[in-house]
Amino acid sequence: MTLASPPPSRLIKNWGDEAVVYDAASGDTHYLKPLTRALYQTCRDHPGYTSTGIATALAKRLGVDETPQLHELTEETLTSLRKIGLLESA
Amino acid sequence: MKLLQLPPTELRRQLAGDGIWLRTGPFSLKLQSRVPFVAEGLSELYGQFEVRSAREAFADFHVAVDPPANLRRWVRPQVNFSFDGMRPFKPLPRDQAFPMLEWGLNWCVSTQAHQYLIIHAAVVEKNGLAAILPAPPGSGKSTLTAGLVLSGWRLLSDELTLIDRKSGLIQPLPRPVSLKNQSIDVIRQFSPETYINRPSHDTVKGTVAHMRPPRDSVLRQHEPARPGWVIFPQWEADAPATLTPRSQAQTFMFLAQNAFNYSHLGADGFRVGTALVDQTACYDFRYGQLSEAVATFDRLADDAGPI
Repeated sequence: MTLASPPPSRLIKNWGDEAVVYDAASGDTHYLKPLTRALYQTCRDHPGYTSTGIATALAKRLGVDETPQLHELTEETLTSLRKIGLLESA
Repeated sequence: MKLLQLPPTELRRQLAGDGIWLRTGPFSLKLQSRVPFVAEGLSELYGQFEVRSAREAFADFHVAVDPPANLRRWVRPQVNFSFDGMRPFKPLPRDQAFPMLEWGLNWCVSTQAHQYLIIHAAVVEKNGLAAILPAPPGSGKSTLTAGLVLSGWRLLSDELTLIDRKSGLIQPLPRPVSLKNQSIDVIRQFSPETYINRPSHDTVKGTVAHMRPPRDSVLRQHEPARPGWVIFPQWEADAPATLTPRSQAQTFMFLAQNAFNYSHLGADGFRVGTALVDQTACYDFRYGQLSEAVATFDRLADDAGPI
């Protein structure tokens, strides 16, 4: 299960399908490319989903097929979002 | 009074004594120096700036450029820059005294003036809108800045873009434009009547000279400007002048990484930076000919119209 970290310490600014996020806890600023932003948003919209559920929701959000590659990409992106502290494992 | 109204002997006398008080943009400084190159540079490049007796007025920065007390005063002479008695840099050869003063003043602003988000970028204005020009060294940023301000654009700064954290407006800091290496001759050819001072050779940045800031830019140094564009210039031989829209999110990241105090300002730096990008059009800009580059910028300003 993946949770987006509680938002109060986080500021997000969207421009089109990209975004930047300021994490007040670490002082870091992150650039979210379109896929990463969509995935981050999906996690925030569905805080209790497993990675499989997130991949399914992401495919729906982006209007693409739910392929093994998408699942793999979702796992990788979730890992990198957890690494920089934007997501927490529940 | 203006600095040009001080006779050179009087300027040297004051600099060597209590110092002079000088206003540059929103900052005042008290400057002392016994080095003739400093007096010469000030006379040549800061003539339009307001000066007062250093004893009369408060100054934001107290700076000095002077020879060291040791043997290097005489043997292969050097100079030190000091700010409030601290020496943030290693000494430099004496003939680099004026560039050292300029670099030192940039350092003072970029490390102290946290009422602004300070981005490492040139910035020029026309019709009330400012074009911010962030770019790494070697991109042709200084050459383009000089070309623009010699063609009717107002110089706000050639190095430090000051974003007022309360208003979001850009505060001018017009000072001499630093030209490096080939750009010195490019600007001499572009505008032969423009005053560029004696080059200093073998500096950390190569050969450096400074162009006198336009009089109008200095007279309007208290008039802020609204951000209009963020444009990343890149000079490339024979390239036609081309503007290409670029990602606002990636532009923000570049500005944040190239701001002197973004981390220091925390969430407010994020707020000011995103608000800045929100109200600007962002472009990459390639150019090969300076005159063509200026024409492209003029069209941008004309299309935006007066505000």
